Amino acid sequence: MTTSQQQAGDPLIIGGKTLSSRFFLGTGRYPNPYVQNEAIRVSEAEVLTFAIRRINLEEPEDDAILHHLSFKPFTYLPNTSGASNADEAIRIARMARASGLSDWIKVEISANERTLLPDPLETLKATEVLAAEGFTVLPYTSDDPILCKRLEEAGAAAVMPGGAPIGTGLGILNPYNIGLIVEEAGVPIIIDAGLGSAADVVQAMELGVDGVLMNTPVAKAVDPVRMAQAMKLAIEAGRLSYLSGRIPKKRYATASSEYEALKVK
Amino acid sequence: MKLTVNGKSAEVEAAVLGDVLRHYELEGKMVVAEIDGNIIDKSAWEQIGLTEGMRIELVHFVGGG
Repeated sequence: MTTSQQQAGDPLIIGGKTLSSRFFLGTGRYPNPYVQNEAIRVSEAEVLTFAIRRINLEEPEDDAILHHLSFKPFTYLPNTSGASNADEAIRIARMARASGLSDWIKVEISANERTLLPDPLETLKATEVLAAEGFTVLPYTSDDPILCKRLEEAGAAAVMPGGAPIGTGLGILNPYNIGLIVEEAGVPIIIDAGLGSAADVVQAMELGVDGVLMNTPVAKAVDPVRMAQAMKLAIEAGRLSYLSGRIPKKRYATASSEYEALKVK
Repeated sequence: MKLTVNGKSAEVEAAVLGDVLRHYELEGKMVVAEIDGNIIDKSAWEQIGLTEGMRIELVHFVGGG
């Protein structure tokens, strides 16, 4: 069975859109645009995230990001990074939509510069307002099961709990919570932030999340293009493993061949 | 005309918002513009008249996660 056949029976739908990949890829911090584009291509990601910033009017050359991405139709997920409260996030979201690029928005509100952890109360407020304005809202949030449910009720199209703080590569700090979030969810759950390697990705997918959003672990890997491929395969492997139902863990051995009946004596 | 563009005061020869975009050579790029906190739709860039002291924000997409 090919990957696309597997996906045909196991689609990921967000905001009414059927996505071709469970890999959401960030576009920051790559060594150069060529490596970035190769990583995007190899990842087979459909959803790409961006940030919105003031144009540097002295040096307005750094907006090439969207110009090279014509090789495939992508779904663009701008974020509200830089916002420290709901009002700022709402303003950035409206700007993002005014570009005409997308009405998807990743709500990202950090009130602490050291941890960049999301502010849950402001995130909930912004999600409510933006969902009511017709945005497809994907809030980045803490790994709290009740909060994730509240975000869903506020109109989030998918909920994106962090595995660990952004860019740390610490992996999934609270797999128990992520498991509960998945069990309770009525919308897709995307692990966003904190992952480091393919092992973390497989763990996330085996916990039953619907997808993974990464940036730093790909962009800052020694070989970002290969890492993009590793992450893609990890997502597929983890998803298949989750769907296939792993064996229970046991304390003692069970032989792979029947042991007693036909034993050579 | 004296304007505040992206937080800095600037002297720009401009009658409409579109002139500001041209001044900074941003025409044809994916830019979102605000005047005094209100987003101005691209279709109105050539109609919106500017007055002294307006605060203009010009933003774009950059790489991010």
